[in-house]
Amino acid sequence: MKKAKPWTAYIQPAIAYILLISGVIIVVVPLMWAAAASFTPNHKVFEYAYPFSWRALFPVDFTMEAYDNLFERGFGRAVGNSFFLAIATVIIGGAANALAGFAFGRFEFRGKQFLFLSVIMLTFMVPVDLTAIPRYILVNSFGWINTWQGLLVPGLANSLVIFLFRQFFAEIPQELIDAARVDGASWLRVLFSIILPISKPVLVAAGLLMFISQWNSFFWPLLIAPRQEMRVVQVEISLAIGQYGTVWNELLAGSMIAAIVPILLVMPFQRYYVQAITGTGLE
Amino acid sequence: MRVSRQFIPYLFLAPALLLLIVFNLVPTIATLVESTFVLSLRSGERVFAGFANYNRIFNDPVFWKSFQVTIVFSLLVNPIQIFLALCLSILINQKLPGIGLFRSIYLLPIAVSLNVTAIVWGLMLDQNSGMINGILTQWGIARQPFLHSVDQALWSIIVIASWIGVPLWSLFILAGLQNIPPPVLEAAKIDGASAWQSFTKITLPLLRRVLAFVLVADTVANFLMFAPILLLTNGGPQLSTNLIMYETYRRGFLYGDLGASSAMLSVMLVIVFIIIGVELYLLRGQD
Amino acid sequence: MFVKRAILMTLLLLISLSPSLAQDVTTITWLTLGWPSEALIEEFEARNPDIKVEAEQIGFNDLFAQIQVRLGAGSAVPDVIAVDVPLVSGYALRNWLLPLDPVFTGDEVEDWLPAAVNAGSYEGTLYAAPVSTSTQLLFYNKGCFDRIGMEPPGADDRLTWEEIAEIAQEMTFDDDGDGTPDVWGFIWEQMVRIYQLQALPESLGGDAIGEDGLSVDGVINSPEWIEAFTYYYNMFNVWNAAPQGEEFWPPDIFETGNICMFVGGPWNIPRFAKNADLEIEWGVSRHPYFADGVPATPTGSWHIGVNANTENVDAATKFAQFISTGEGAELWWREGSGDFPAQQSVLALFATEAEFDELPMSYMRTAADEATVNPRPRAVTVGFLEYEQILQNIFQDIRNGADVEESLNLAVQRIESEMAKYR
Repeated sequence: MKKAKPWTAYIQPAIAYILLISGVIIVVVPLMWAAAASFTPNHKVFEYAYPFSWRALFPVDFTMEAYDNLFERGFGRAVGNSFFLAIATVIIGGAANALAGFAFGRFEFRGKQFLFLSVIMLTFMVPVDLTAIPRYILVNSFGWINTWQGLLVPGLANSLVIFLFRQFFAEIPQELIDAARVDGASWLRVLFSIILPISKPVLVAAGLLMFISQWNSFFWPLLIAPRQEMRVVQVEISLAIGQYGTVWNELLAGSMIAAIVPILLVMPFQRYYVQAITGTGLE
Repeated sequence: MRVSRQFIPYLFLAPALLLLIVFNLVPTIATLVESTFVLSLRSGERVFAGFANYNRIFNDPVFWKSFQVTIVFSLLVNPIQIFLALCLSILINQKLPGIGLFRSIYLLPIAVSLNVTAIVWGLMLDQNSGMINGILTQWGIARQPFLHSVDQALWSIIVIASWIGVPLWSLFILAGLQNIPPPVLEAAKIDGASAWQSFTKITLPLLRRVLAFVLVADTVANFLMFAPILLLTNGGPQLSTNLIMYETYRRGFLYGDLGASSAMLSVMLVIVFIIIGVELYLLRGQD
Repeated sequence: MFVKRAILMTLLLLISLSPSLAQDVTTITWLTLGWPSEALIEEFEARNPDIKVEAEQIGFNDLFAQIQVRLGAGSAVPDVIAVDVPLVSGYALRNWLLPLDPVFTGDEVEDWLPAAVNAGSYEGTLYAAPVSTSTQLLFYNKGCFDRIGMEPPGADDRLTWEEIAEIAQEMTFDDDGDGTPDVWGFIWEQMVRIYQLQALPESLGGDAIGEDGLSVDGVINSPEWIEAFTYYYNMFNVWNAAPQGEEFWPPDIFETGNICMFVGGPWNIPRFAKNADLEIEWGVSRHPYFADGVPATPTGSWHIGVNANTENVDAATKFAQFISTGEGAELWWREGSGDFPAQQSVLALFATEAEFDELPMSYMRTAADEATVNPRPRAVTVGFLEYEQILQNIFQDIRNGADVEESLNLAVQRIESEMAKYR
């Protein structure tokens, strides 16, 4: 028979759960209100929120009106557009950023510090929206207005993600790489068959970062591809904010859908956090 | 075919670097160059003006007020977010039943865009009828003005930014924590180290690179942020939330004053560069 | 249904494949807000088979920065642009808009409200053709008047601001006794925007901007402005009759019964009239004024402009002409934005159409008449966006309890400093 644990052994988990649950409340309450409001007729959105009652957190007057209106207006198409763009960014941009991060993290070469500071750090410190005018002029001169490449290409390389990869790749023990190099593996092989498999948590984090940055992008898509059939999710959501008021339930319904897609994508990858430990081959 | 060894790093760098140079670096430089020009609105001509734009903003009390607000904001929001993100990542790294569910829930804010977060929190923080004041009055606490008060508006913006920021950055710290091989921590335990000792002596040093990344990335992200200001306070009340990035946006994209806007952006870049340099120096390793 | 659609698709395909037809089609883009624009575009395309119109709809908050970037970059698209009328001078000064004088006939110009033509012109040249205009009315909840045992005003009555202050305080109720009212007496629909608040000092004889169109010292800190904004301050901070929160849009909480009176635009009339679930009884009366002053009403709305760099001048001006005059303007009023038309011939339809015979839609006739009572356009200045943004900050501060005179002086300082670049 297993020996019963002393009661003190339960204190730590108990505190952990209390903290976890209080955090969950902060995270979930705004989302519950937003979700409930998205299933409420627009003129009733504030019925329980003004003044506040707990009923505001549940869709008391349930309706799909907001979702129906959204999809009638072509929201489905916007979701498809954004999804395509975000996945393309993760795949193409992910490869380019990982290669660059690997170079900065594992190689010594002339101009490394200079390139890192002048290109990566500098571009990372400048908000893309505030340099939109010259970028718009440039992309316009390529004839990329209202094109998919105009939406996709400028956002592929991401200095934040390169920085992230650099930090993680630099941590990997040199012995792992040396062993493979002695066996005659090329650098590309080292990257793809040794480094990447043990870097799953950072791949998930970087992938999420790239997906979200494309998925949530708003100012640039609005500038570069305002045509109706090329609208992306955040642009479509913003249309709910009108001059004489906001269609709250549509704004929130759009936001709900916009939030659910990346979450659903990330959920299956969660287990890599756990697997990562067993996968490092360091035990 | 074998590529000569010394070219390999450049080949690896080429795709991303080229894209960054064309679509980010060139527009950035063009913007900075713009800060030395003045667009004569009468004739429509662009005239080189040296430091005229800088002179103009340095003599502008609104700029200095924004400067001060930005520094205060930055000194508050970054330590708060990183401390909370570290706590959260340690919490969701525990091996507890149901922890997967908690991890998933904590991912939710990351998926919500900053604009929507700002709008929803704006409604919740409403002075007369927001949910937060509804809850406070039920507990017998007086209503708070939040976004309408000089003393509370900046804190409200910090809360809104942190609602996304803390879970986001904890995700990266969690990835770092998971990269620490368990045998290292077990060995420390066997050697009789307390939980606090093994945290400060083993975990934190091993997290150094991740924390450096998170600190720098978070600092920059908070410097660049202006959407909640644009949507909720317009820099008020009495300029108490007028972050430089918002003032830069407002001058450039609403007032059409690109010269002043670019000059502010350049000043901003210098500040961020210095702050990041200090941060990296403090977190420097042996290498 | 399916068969019909299949035939239509085939036809469309054939048309698009036929080179002789496809060759001559010019496509123009129209940067506009989220108004229902299908009917107008369809009609325009039917009349002009060689022109295709693509609407680029964007949110109100995003329009100004979009115009700034795209026209500032010298882009040839969009061809046609929805222009908020006080911005005409600023855009014209930057040479972003095509002069439109040659496009319109004398009769067409005569048909527009003269104030709208003036507002769309800069230094005597028309840059943006009037499409709609606006006015403001007092909306009230009848239940609130019943509750204080008072007869609500008739549609043609005009309350003074002094009366509003008194009634609003009586109509502010704290039913659950938590120290904060649940039902508020009064609010302005756009509570921190110059569009609506300018009517306060102007009722007292104040001005919006100096004669040179740039200076504000002695204008927006004049005794009239101080008196007007002390009233505004008191409404929020002394009489506590108006909610300070601006996250909730006043018509939204008027519908839920939490606001008794608000001053707002006629666009609210069809909104309330069409809300079948509305539980409150409501009515309108004229825009309030100060007892010592004169009635003054806000005005101005959307105009249409043509990008100076457009490659399709003919098609773009044709479209601008269609939406701003004659049958096109009528169609836009009926099935487009629904805003108040700026054409006298279309405005006249309010008096003759049966739709406006009965309450509550007949309030539109009240609004049409109110639009002619001392309408005061916003300041004509090339720096309108700066002026508006800074004043918005200042109004927010006054609402939140900042000193009125100090705040207005701060506004003078900030606006003068921004205007310096135009001198």
